[in-house]
Amino acid sequence: MSWLPLSFGFPAVLAGLIALPVIWWLLRLTPPKPRSELFPPLRILAQVLRKEETPHQSPWWLTLLRLVMATLVIFALAEPVFNPQQRAETGSGPLALVMDNGWASAPAWDLRVAAAQRLIADANDAGQPVVLAFTAEPAATEIGPFEARAAKERLAAAKPRPVPVDRPGTYARVATSLDGASNVTIAILSDGIRAEGDQTAFAKILSRGAARLVWAEPSDLPKAALTAVENSATAFTLSAVRPASDIAPLQLTAGAYDDRGRRIADATLSFAPGESAATADVAVPFELRNDFASVSIDGEAQAGAIRVLDENSKRRRVGLLSQSEADQAQPLLSPLYYIRRALEPYADLVESQTPDLAVAVPELLAQKPAMVVMSDVGTLPDAAREALVEWVKGGGTLVRFAGSRLAAAEPDEELLPVRLRAGERALGGALSWTEPQPVSEFPATGPFAGLTPPQDVSVTRQVLAEPNPDIVEHTWANLADGTPLVTGAVRGQGTIVLFHVTPEATWSNLPISGSFVEMLRRIVQLSRNQGQVETANGAPAASLPPYRVIDANGALTMPSPEARPLQAGATPKITVENPPGLYGSEEGVVALNLLPADATLDPIARPTTILPVSTVSYALDESRDLKGPLIAAALALMALDTLAVLWIGGVFARRRAGAARATAAMLALAIIAGSVGDGRAQDAKPGDDEAIAAISKTRLAYVLTGDPSIDAVSRAGMEGLRRFLTEKTALEPGEPAGVDIAADELSFYPLIYWPVDPATAMPSEAAIARVDAYMQQGGTVLFDTRDQFETSLDLANSTSPATQRLRDILGDLNVPALEPVPEDHVLTKSFFIMKEFPGRFAGAPLWVEVTAPTQSGEDRPVRVGDGVSPIMITANDFAGAWAVDENGQALLPTVPSDPMQRVYALRGGVNIMMYMLTGNYKSDQVHVPILLERLGQ
Amino acid sequence: MAASIGEATTPVATSEALARARLRASFVPDLLVEARRVVNTVIAGWHGRRRRGIGENFWQFRPYVEGDSSRIDWRRSARDEHIYVRDKEWEAAHTVWLWADPSPSMLYKSSHATVSKESRALVLILALAELLSRSGERIGWPGLTDPFSARNGAERLASHLTHATTLAFRPDVSSVRRFSDIVIASDFLDPVEETMEWLDVLARHGVRAHLIEVADPAEETFPYSGRTEFRDPETGAKLTAGRAETLADDYRRIYAARRQELSSWAKRLGWSYTVNHTDRLASESLVRVHAAMTVDGGYASGGRR
Repeated sequence: MSWLPLSFGFPAVLAGLIALPVIWWLLRLTPPKPRSELFPPLRILAQVLRKEETPHQSPWWLTLLRLVMATLVIFALAEPVFNPQQRAETGSGPLALVMDNGWASAPAWDLRVAAAQRLIADANDAGQPVVLAFTAEPAATEIGPFEARAAKERLAAAKPRPVPVDRPGTYARVATSLDGASNVTIAILSDGIRAEGDQTAFAKILSRGAARLVWAEPSDLPKAALTAVENSATAFTLSAVRPASDIAPLQLTAGAYDDRGRRIADATLSFAPGESAATADVAVPFELRNDFASVSIDGEAQAGAIRVLDENSKRRRVGLLSQSEADQAQPLLSPLYYIRRALEPYADLVESQTPDLAVAVPELLAQKPAMVVMSDVGTLPDAAREALVEWVKGGGTLVRFAGSRLAAAEPDEELLPVRLRAGERALGGALSWTEPQPVSEFPATGPFAGLTPPQDVSVTRQVLAEPNPDIVEHTWANLADGTPLVTGAVRGQGTIVLFHVTPEATWSNLPISGSFVEMLRRIVQLSRNQGQVETANGAPAASLPPYRVIDANGALTMPSPEARPLQAGATPKITVENPPGLYGSEEGVVALNLLPADATLDPIARPTTILPVSTVSYALDESRDLKGPLIAAALALMALDTLAVLWIGGVFARRRAGAARATAAMLALAIIAGSVGDGRAQDAKPGDDEAIAAISKTRLAYVLTGDPSIDAVSRAGMEGLRRFLTEKTALEPGEPAGVDIAADELSFYPLIYWPVDPATAMPSEAAIARVDAYMQQGGTVLFDTRDQFETSLDLANSTSPATQRLRDILGDLNVPALEPVPEDHVLTKSFFIMKEFPGRFAGAPLWVEVTAPTQSGEDRPVRVGDGVSPIMITANDFAGAWAVDENGQALLPTVPSDPMQRVYALRGGVNIMMYMLTGNYKSDQVHVPILLERLGQ
Repeated sequence: MAASIGEATTPVATSEALARARLRASFVPDLLVEARRVVNTVIAGWHGRRRRGIGENFWQFRPYVEGDSSRIDWRRSARDEHIYVRDKEWEAAHTVWLWADPSPSMLYKSSHATVSKESRALVLILALAELLSRSGERIGWPGLTDPFSARNGAERLASHLTHATTLAFRPDVSSVRRFSDIVIASDFLDPVEETMEWLDVLARHGVRAHLIEVADPAEETFPYSGRTEFRDPETGAKLTAGRAETLADDYRRIYAARRQELSSWAKRLGWSYTVNHTDRLASESLVRVHAAMTVDGGYASGGRR
């Protein structure tokens, strides 16, 4: 069955399918047995039955169901396997399983293990011992022969290693272990990458009693591996190779990471068609480059796709040379003082104790420094000069500082980046027209590019370069007038840098600026150590402990216990004990990388042999035994068949009556449950009706004082105001509400009228607290002492009892600052334009909360402000003026008896209500005429 | 498989008739007791014949209508302006034939019913026998006994039944004369034409018949479903229904049509037609039959046809 990934363990059983027609015929003839019923009115029933053909046979679908069931059983007995795995031919002899677990095996390791597991399982079935060897394991690893079960456990414990494979050694060991065995099955599970000595290794292993070879190689090799990185002055360059078998154009991205694993730069590796090597430049600023700790190819989880860098964290040795004696008494004038202070954090400083240059220079160069700093050295002795020139050409970095000696010396072409004019230039002296010069922007081409030019640095003296056409490209830093401050030039592999000022703060204040440190640091980072230092007594250098290692998946991790320190000095060889990674400590590390710069990824060649070869592929075992599912399906069909027979037999129909009863019972239950649910949803509380009535219409509220006459007047007053509001405005309030401040909910009402009466009981503290909360939450209380004409005469004790009571009440309330309603208050304009607010009495002011005085000009007709006053106090007995009887006639006379006073009182009430309901909206409305006028024009 | 709905109350015996007779004999005493019990529920409202007829006792005065053959009671008529006729209470002894269907189909009892049809039919017949005997009527079983008059008519009839070895499936109605009543308790499951044919003899003789159809609820409601094989207890014929529930509606219609036809035919003849379901009480039908026997008419319509 090539068109279907299906194979059968016992295909012969499929012949049973021939019996299907017989089964079909048999099934057709045996209808299900009917129930037998005695039935006297059979003759009547016979009249009915005549219409229907009595089924003598099973329904076709039942037959089909049973046929399918039979087919399923036959198929299941044939033991079908879906997606069968091809089985490698294994003989009767032992199995030698040699598996590559080097760095190239890390991708899809599980598939490789699955393939090996199948081979071991076959050996297990045959009861054969297994020799299991991994090519990247240390040589001392036990390789067997094992029982198949033990081999399986070892296989499960094995993991890929981030090191190259050692095929010759491993194969030799396997060959040794197979001594004397015959009819051996050699299984080579390779990683697909060619290595040195493959063919001889293959030949060796196949020569010892091998009967057949099982060969596996991965379908795809690692995409690419990094072979080198180079951090030059101008760019950071990655080099990568890919398997030679890949010829299609390929683009890979690589990332650069700092020492904490943060990605800080990207690069794109482009493999041209047919090319197996590619390079990529990481175009990032110099400073960022110095933070690179590792680079890796994205999406490649293997050790070859990552490289660790040690250049930036490696400390440079810097030699310091000076001709002037170190003056311990005046260290700040020592020429090397600032250089030493600037470089100490980044570099190992090497100084010569002798001022004699002929001795000092060779002494320094013997230390193989990365950089030599010479402060104001004029001429060098010839031998020393030769050595220095040689050293520079070999890659050293020479940094020189100017000074009087250099200015006086004969210009030395080879040890100076530019030609210098003799003498020095003074800027800004008493006899000079020029000013001391600041430092201008650093040229973008130089190594200082990107540094912030120091603002506070001024140069008063310098040595001058001869103006050459190429002076600009040698200039690393300029003064504002364009003269070079720092120049640099390449000599051979090395660099010569000249600061045109002294290293101490005599010619300029550059050495005491922060930029000096930055500039020196950059130059240090450009420099490279010129070799290992031979220790004086010839003892081996201290070995470097593993600091971070690369694991097989290409991640930097903490070293495993089996990692050993790296022996310094010797050419490092990458083994399991010395995996690639960083060795050393935080202060400085040495990078050990997997692939050499000239590495190539070539596909492995299958050994040519006369033995029978079977090839297996790396794949998970996806074969699935279908016997179980088929049997299950047949059983399901059988259950279905039983149900169908029962249905034909009418069991369900007979149960219908019972089912109906059950349904009715459940319905009843559901109804009961539903009614219970209703009960739960019922959350009505006492007082809901009142609350709904209170909030469905705006209602005027007054405080029930307990004195029936006062309450009656209050109610009549509210009623009068209500009628007036209904008549004059769009507001149609509901019935007036008397509230008990101790018990009723106050928040339903925008305004509560409170006639203060000394004769009634003082409200409780809790009640006053409720009123306070009401006022804090936006409500307003209109206090009315109704004592306008009781206060004025007795000057000695001018407080009336009502006012005293009001004071008592207010003493417990949070009352804001109050003022009589000013002329420009919103209250005066919220509906009618009012000057004062009379009630039954006239003359008492209406007190409201102080509004902030207008800031923006005097011409506004009304003050703006947010919110409404939470409190109003009057003594004019508003309710008395508003009060009407049932016929709409005024209840109480006004004092003085002026009909207009009552009208004004009502208008005042309207204004108060409008103020309560609209807030400061009216203060904006007063501008409407002006706005309209402006719009009109 | 669930238990069958219907069953025959008798086991199958080799000599079927004898076995059935014995069986019947064995439960006749019980039925007699049951019949007495049923009668007691009816007898409360039974006070004489209460109808006019040939007799000694005054029954009623009734206004004379023209053509009335009765004699005018002049003494009564002289008292006012109307002319009255004197009716006498009917006192003549009457012959009532009783017959219950002994066919095997009557032995059927479904799980919904309390008793078999035969049992119910005999109870009804014996109860009537008791009733009629007490009121002095002559009762008889066609083909078994001639009409006799006795106070213990039910016992005598029962003892006749007990000793009868065979009973005809159809009553021998040749000896039934005019002005007799006959009560026939049967299931009337034969085709209507056949039933009418043998009942028509009675109609022609001017006999008033009271037909009691004893029906099992299962026969009427047809509660069967699924694949079912139906057997006829009389003929042994079999019918298999694939899905019996699909036949229910048609069957009920035909079953009801049969009953309707028979009952309307009986009504046309002036006969009574009573249906008694075996899951209901026997006394219900007994009251109805008894009421039907006491109303006038029936002979005329039957006889004059």
